[in-house]
Amino acid sequence: MKKPLALLLALSMSLSLAACGGGGTTESKAPEESKAADPAPAQSQAAEPSGEKVTINVIAAQYGQNTNAWYDDFVKEFNDTYPDINLVLEVVSWADIYTVVNTRIANGNAPDVLNIDVFADYQADDLLVPIKEVVSDETYAKLYPAFLEESNVDGTIWAIPDLASARAMYYNKDILDAAGVTEIPTTWDELKAACEKIKAYDANIYPWGVDMTTDEGQACFAYYTWNNGGGFTDADGNWILNCDANVEAVEYAIDLVNSGLTNTDPANDNRYTLQDMFGAGQLAMMIGPNSIPTYVEANGYSVNYGFGAIPTNGGNPSVSAGVMDRFMCFKKDGRTDAEVEAIKTFFDFFYEDERYNEWVLMEGFLPATEAGGEALAAADPAQAPWVDIIGSCKFYPVAKAEWADVKQGVIDVEQQALLGGDVRELLDNLQAEIAG
Amino acid sequence: MKRSEQTAPAQGEQKKLTGKQRFRRVEPYIWIAPSVILMAVFILVPIFFVFRLSMSHVTKAGLIKDFAGFENFAKVLKTPAFGMILKNTLVWTVVVVVLSTVLGFMLALVLNNKFHGRKIARAIVVFPWATTLVIQASTWKFIIDTDFGTLNTLLLRLGIIKQAVNWTPTPEAYFGWEMACGIFVTIPFVTFCVLSGLQSIDASLYEAATVDGASYFQKLFHITLPLVRPSLTVSTVLNIIYVFNSFPIVWVITKGDPANRTDTLVTYLYKLAFYRGRQGEAAAVSVLGFLILLVCASVYMVYTLRKGDES
Repeated sequence: MKKPLALLLALSMSLSLAACGGGGTTESKAPEESKAADPAPAQSQAAEPSGEKVTINVIAAQYGQNTNAWYDDFVKEFNDTYPDINLVLEVVSWADIYTVVNTRIANGNAPDVLNIDVFADYQADDLLVPIKEVVSDETYAKLYPAFLEESNVDGTIWAIPDLASARAMYYNKDILDAAGVTEIPTTWDELKAACEKIKAYDANIYPWGVDMTTDEGQACFAYYTWNNGGGFTDADGNWILNCDANVEAVEYAIDLVNSGLTNTDPANDNRYTLQDMFGAGQLAMMIGPNSIPTYVEANGYSVNYGFGAIPTNGGNPSVSAGVMDRFMCFKKDGRTDAEVEAIKTFFDFFYEDERYNEWVLMEGFLPATEAGGEALAAADPAQAPWVDIIGSCKFYPVAKAEWADVKQGVIDVEQQALLGGDVRELLDNLQAEIAG
Repeated sequence: MKRSEQTAPAQGEQKKLTGKQRFRRVEPYIWIAPSVILMAVFILVPIFFVFRLSMSHVTKAGLIKDFAGFENFAKVLKTPAFGMILKNTLVWTVVVVVLSTVLGFMLALVLNNKFHGRKIARAIVVFPWATTLVIQASTWKFIIDTDFGTLNTLLLRLGIIKQAVNWTPTPEAYFGWEMACGIFVTIPFVTFCVLSGLQSIDASLYEAATVDGASYFQKLFHITLPLVRPSLTVSTVLNIIYVFNSFPIVWVITKGDPANRTDTLVTYLYKLAFYRGRQGEAAAVSVLGFLILLVCASVYMVYTLRKGDES
């Protein structure tokens, strides 16, 4: 009697806990249904929906603490201005947005418009509308053409950029002066020499920050490979993960770590840890986004710093790494012309120069429109160099379907190399896995 | 005729009794019905979905396409890192469960003695258990950090070390700290399970043993241990399942980095599902974990209950 009882008990306990512990892939299905049906918590709705009204559903990413409040006002103003349209907008945090969107797609309840970073997976599943069909020519013309190209798959643009950020090298002026580094390093050789001087000056200061974590190790790969003439893809869009320039670049970064010129734990020190160390004067130089000044100020650090181009190798021009987010529109059965017009109206309203500039400045990012760039440079001269940087930086190849695997793959290569793995062999394996 | 008249009421009574008996038989099921229904809806249905997902082609956007058979399982099992991750998971589970059970048992013995401040001591033991795992893990991460950790700061201030020590120079060291954190947060549960068992032991048993000249360890192994075994069994089986499925500690401290060296099945499947968009394979890992747990928990329970029968 006891044996079957024990088995039954063990089965039920395992079941219950497997459901809690291992169910990450499905657990969100049921709860999110209710969220989809009633997006009340984060949504703002001004006017009562009526029979004649056209409703459009939008999911927007939460960039900061002020995002929700800004969109609340936005929705109110929009619905007041366009009484025939009922804009239902839900702001979702970055931590939840992928789960929320995927669950809604799985339940056949995708939003009309989505603001997120990736789009290729949705495009590959034939879920998206070519973006030109739902954006007016006037608004479309405002956007940087180079940015639009980043959402090009098979000659069609599937998404429009909402904002961007770019990276540069930040340095602590006081430490560099004290260590006798008179010229800001612009090449790899100069960088290593500067690091050695800083280390000789004070062994307790980390000369250079390296982030090879699961969070953002792909950025590290980009900083070194792009500035060595390599990168993720060639001009034709083919994967070139194991090209010589990439091997040299990763080996250079690993050598900096092994020579004791960087933070001790690049596989676990993420960008925020580095930013904190930089703010506290414990780290002399690092590559970081244009939001570092805001970060340093918000956290009460008083560090005397400057920023410059990311050091390069072999005479290659310095390349900054850009990150861009997007708006995209999901297909819907029986979408009426009025609904298409409503979506166009939404984009026109959002990208109206004054409103859009206010939003980008509020979020602390770089604009994706030329007018926005000019406004940013005028509003804050310190930000002016960024407008040039953003116009010339490279972006991750997120339009390619293999991107998620490549991203985690290069991070794995970096971490294996940190543990002593052979960079060429690791990159060869990754290339074989990705490109076949 | 007369006879039948006499027997009729007796038969009716018998029928009545059977009806009551029948109700008695059904009654327990009515009482447990709500929990069974709840379990079916909130546990069996998700489990069914995980199984279905594990045998389907799932797109990166989360759409279930067609039946894939055991393709996802084959892919997972062929991954070079999978063997290491499985080994990590077993090491993690065995070390944390065994050490926390031994230490928790010892702590329970101490707390079962009468001493001043016992209530406060018991309350303190509950703290690690009552705190969210994410906070516990973040605190441990903060303590052992090389650059701004409190452990280094404390030792430097006390003059014990001259320079900050890197407490996590290797992935193995990280994993060791994670296990230490796991043990720390698991001990209270064991302690309180054992303590409840200890309190139900009749003191006269110890008195009799003392009179017979039994030593401390004889009493421990022949009275205490057999009598708290049911509590220990429950705590151990639950711990095996909890610890095996534990996500926050490893995730907060290392995210399984570097290069999967500190991953367990649960953190690995999370990365598969939400960092690589391979939900089918993630579900396959989940199913494998479920089967391993099922076997372990069943074997352990059958073994201990049979042992209980024998003794």
